[in-house]
Amino acid sequence: MDTKVRSFELTMWPHMRAAYNLARWLVRNDQDAEDIVQDSFLKAYKAQESFRGGDSRVWMLSIVRNTALDFLRRYKSRSVVSLEDQIHEPADHTPNPERGLLESTRRKQVREAISHLEPEFREVIVLREIEGLSYKEIASVLSIPMGTVMSRLSRARNLLLVELGGAKEVSA
Amino acid sequence: MNCREAGPLLHARLDNELDMAGSANIDLHLAECRACAAQYAALESLHEEIVAADLGYAPGTALERKLAAQFPQEHKSKFRFWSWNWLNASVMAAALAVAVLVVAIPMLRNGNGADAVGAEILDNHLRALQPMHQVDVLSTDQHTVKPWFQGKINFSPPVPDLTKEDFLLLGGRLEVIHRQPAAAIVYRRRQHIVSLYVSPSVGADSKPELRDSGGYHLLHWMQNNMSYWAVSDVDPSDLRTFGDLVRGK
Repeated sequence: MDTKVRSFELTMWPHMRAAYNLARWLVRNDQDAEDIVQDSFLKAYKAQESFRGGDSRVWMLSIVRNTALDFLRRYKSRSVVSLEDQIHEPADHTPNPERGLLESTRRKQVREAISHLEPEFREVIVLREIEGLSYKEIASVLSIPMGTVMSRLSRARNLLLVELGGAKEVSA
Repeated sequence: MNCREAGPLLHARLDNELDMAGSANIDLHLAECRACAAQYAALESLHEEIVAADLGYAPGTALERKLAAQFPQEHKSKFRFWSWNWLNASVMAAALAVAVLVVAIPMLRNGNGADAVGAEILDNHLRALQPMHQVDVLSTDQHTVKPWFQGKINFSPPVPDLTKEDFLLLGGRLEVIHRQPAAAIVYRRRQHIVSLYVSPSVGADSKPELRDSGGYHLLHWMQNNMSYWAVSDVDPSDLRTFGDLVRGK
């Protein structure tokens, strides 16, 4: 038991920050993100026999991602919106007239722009731009082909450019 | 390559996901297509902006505590550094709960000096229990640890192999104690870390003297013009045993 716990801790706990960051971006509030990380670690612990080497960060993040999406589906009546609900809806943009005036304002804008992306675009931005994962790693976390990673990332960035006033949207 | 083909590849180029030939192809297109070049520049600055905004969310300590409580742990020392760094550190030092450091230090002969040095040793030991501070050279092999000190300090600290006596060598590090370079050698006995601090100090040999400080024990002695301090939260009799083993008695 001790050995099992220890090997789990040593392998997985270093990924707690990344796990929390992804969960927080997906569910968009602290408390739910904490619950999801706890839940995910428990799942990971129970399933650790099924983890056969490889990239433990990718494994952990895929558990967090699936747990977060399950959560979003289950609680779609709450303020968070599920993946399905958001797909064909425009994001809830709140234009800010003072755009670009202050650095902190700009930072807030960037964060809100990402936060308003649909989850399937938000997650690729978070994994690529904030967590610095490669396309291959993102493909493993999301269980999608690398080509899909590239096209989603392309679409997501173009949406951000439009939202942030960087350029007009171009077809991906 | 036309602009339609180039679209997604601009991202792959930006993310360093293309091989050399692929990159060269895109670069050729960018050189001759103003629209794509502008798009690429916009993507690049977007990327830089997101990175610079440092938008990662860091977990609070409450989560760390909750998670820690969720799993039965063996890190239950007085020092519950439940940070991820601490856990990383335990990767490095493989489940430390007790450290023994031996340091030989000058200025130990007069009483007040020894007290001051003892306090400093204890502080140093406690600091070493924190993340990533245990050892500079991580090895259970005395023949790796001992030579590591060569060229770093002008004396050669003893690094006895006490595995059979249940003091497992974890590694060593350099310290400055009372403005003197000291070798710190770290052992583990069950869940306790024992630090041995050694530094040159002129003086007559002395018998090990035990003192206590807040649940920790310090053992100090002089031998062959070296000052030794062993510190740990092990049982005092274990620390005495450790001291005798190091002294070769």
